[in-house]
Amino acid sequence: MAEVLSIVIDVTLLTLVLALAAFGLAIIFGLVGVINMGHGALLTLGAYLAWWGVEGLGLPFPIAVIFATFGVALVGLALEHVLIRHFYDRPFDTLLLTWAFFIVTTEIIKLVFGPDFRNIANPIAGAIEFQGIAIPAYRGLVAMISLSVIATTALVIFKTTWGIRIRALIQNRQVAALLGLNVAQTYKVIFALGAGAAGLAGALIAPMMSIDPYIGNVFLVRSFFVVIVGGIGHLLGGTLIGSFLIGGSETLFALLSDQVVAQTIVFLLAIIVLRFRPQGLLTVK
Amino acid sequence: MTDSTKKDVGGLTRRQFLGGVAAGAAVTAIPAPAIIKRASAADPIKVGVISPLTGAWTVYGRAHIAGFELAVKEINAAGGVLGRPIEILPADSQTEPRIVSEQANRLIRRERVDFLAGTFSSAERNAAGPVVEGADKVLLYPTFYEGQEQEYYPGVCNPNIFMFGPEPTQQVWPHLEYIVNNYGGKFFMIGSDYAWPRVTNMVTKQKLAELGGEVVGEEYIPFNTPQYESVLRDIRNSGADVIFHSLTGSDTVNFRQQLAAAGMKEDFVLWTVDDEEVVTSGLGQDVPANDYVSFDYFMSLKTANNGPFLERFKAEFGNDALMNTVGVAMYNAAHMSAKALEAAGEVSSEALRANLKGMTFDGAPQGPVRMREVDNQLVLPSYLMRVNPQWTSVNDMFIEVQGFESVEPLTARCEGLPL
Repeated sequence: MAEVLSIVIDVTLLTLVLALAAFGLAIIFGLVGVINMGHGALLTLGAYLAWWGVEGLGLPFPIAVIFATFGVALVGLALEHVLIRHFYDRPFDTLLLTWAFFIVTTEIIKLVFGPDFRNIANPIAGAIEFQGIAIPAYRGLVAMISLSVIATTALVIFKTTWGIRIRALIQNRQVAALLGLNVAQTYKVIFALGAGAAGLAGALIAPMMSIDPYIGNVFLVRSFFVVIVGGIGHLLGGTLIGSFLIGGSETLFALLSDQVVAQTIVFLLAIIVLRFRPQGLLTVK
Repeated sequence: MTDSTKKDVGGLTRRQFLGGVAAGAAVTAIPAPAIIKRASAADPIKVGVISPLTGAWTVYGRAHIAGFELAVKEINAAGGVLGRPIEILPADSQTEPRIVSEQANRLIRRERVDFLAGTFSSAERNAAGPVVEGADKVLLYPTFYEGQEQEYYPGVCNPNIFMFGPEPTQQVWPHLEYIVNNYGGKFFMIGSDYAWPRVTNMVTKQKLAELGGEVVGEEYIPFNTPQYESVLRDIRNSGADVIFHSLTGSDTVNFRQQLAAAGMKEDFVLWTVDDEEVVTSGLGQDVPANDYVSFDYFMSLKTANNGPFLERFKAEFGNDALMNTVGVAMYNAAHMSAKALEAAGEVSSEALRANLKGMTFDGAPQGPVRMREVDNQLVLPSYLMRVNPQWTSVNDMFIEVQGFESVEPLTARCEGLPL
């Protein structure tokens, strides 16, 4: 029984941490339709801003996280205003633009912060005992934050007037514009929101990982799989189910095989899902 | 590897690659000594240095090239070799074996370097193997590696490649007894999924079995794995005494952060054969506290040569610059090759090969080292260190547990010895 519970907890932690990392992409790719190859760079930037907040400015970690979130949101806003907004009708151009943004940002990070590994001390060291199972305290907290961030965003989109506008925009951009919706402004806000979510994720993940110029890359491909497998535009259910398939299920396969095989099976599974449900698991045709 | 490098080299086909190698081989058709004789006395001796300056192993790149640069500066300040200065032609491997063979070809064919130094991972060295073989140029290889096995020829067992870093019977074997006697013989082995960790573990197992120990778990992790829940669970359930660790790059940091966060440090002893000064700096104080590390060189070493060496290094590269086993191997490689050419009185691959063999170098920062004649493997010291929980800088990062001044490795498993 304890073994089963420990597996359930592992799966939950893996799923929710990946969901947090993928969420910014789910917003930008899912709602605005920009294939944001710069997502990894936004995560990296979040991690470095949090590190700089703690080490350089002497901020307490929670404040540094907020600082990183708004910092990256601002970068997202600037990116949207200067470049992306001129290319909404040309998705492949945005793919290249965001890729260029990724390369430039990574190199700037290397120049400013250097290529060395950086680290943030674990803000809540130690583990919590639950039914005889040790849960890493900080990872547990990050998983909870992940769930509440995703749930709150979903609530905003499904229960508020502002959310109705966004959904109208996704369904039919022209009609929404004809009905008086400020399309440009709404896109801008969503893009900044997505960037901010990536910044938050990068900052929160930073104490669990090595902070180096490639920290975001590790999550880039996985994030795309999460969004596409879960279904584009399904912020709550799609992100969670996608994260379970791409992240959480790995630990189940690892029970039966070694890590290399487990990771391979997961991506194989993703391909099979996309073959039979190319619209994603949650999208009804 | 980043996706950008993938894009850059995606178009390189096997045919083009073979073409490049063949072209490299064609250079040997031109009588090399003729070119060298035409060079005037003041023309520099050119050395191509291939380092991981971008890509996944960028963090190791700076110490890698800095070690060679420092030695060359010292050699040139003392009048060069045979009255000629040494010139470094740096090249970026992008942490990508295919780029290594391109760069090695370019350096040999177009830049006409006299010999090569560097490459970082075993995969990179193996990519350079056929190139130096075909062009008959010497490669000085600096990294701790899996040892020489005929199967991986021409990356190893190659008369043109000289090994300046420790292999497992030098890096691991001398310290197994201490660990087993103090903490028990049940090992859980975790490493990155490529040749070096797998072969290192295989070699380690032989000696471990002799000492009555056993392997209770063995996991290999694909590169760039962010989360380690399932591996940590396997370790917890394995009943292991010791985690024997050979993950590399950012994976090593991610794993060790998460191991510490899971509160598992009290229950297991961790021994890493990968994490030198650069990685340990990235881990901070708490995460690596009291873990074991073994190498031939540490910045914390109190040998007679190390203090003055670090002073010169810091004067050149700044007070915060990091040195490590690989950088020091590059330093030794530069000095020893210069001495070999000086002794021969001429600059050629043959002179280098003949005179490097059997050479002893007393100026090595870790203590005297010797290039073994039979298999081109450096005989060097081996130290087991414990990470100081209160370390403040690289000077007090590691506490010496035990050290051996000169460790002879097992003879390389190559055909046709001596190389």
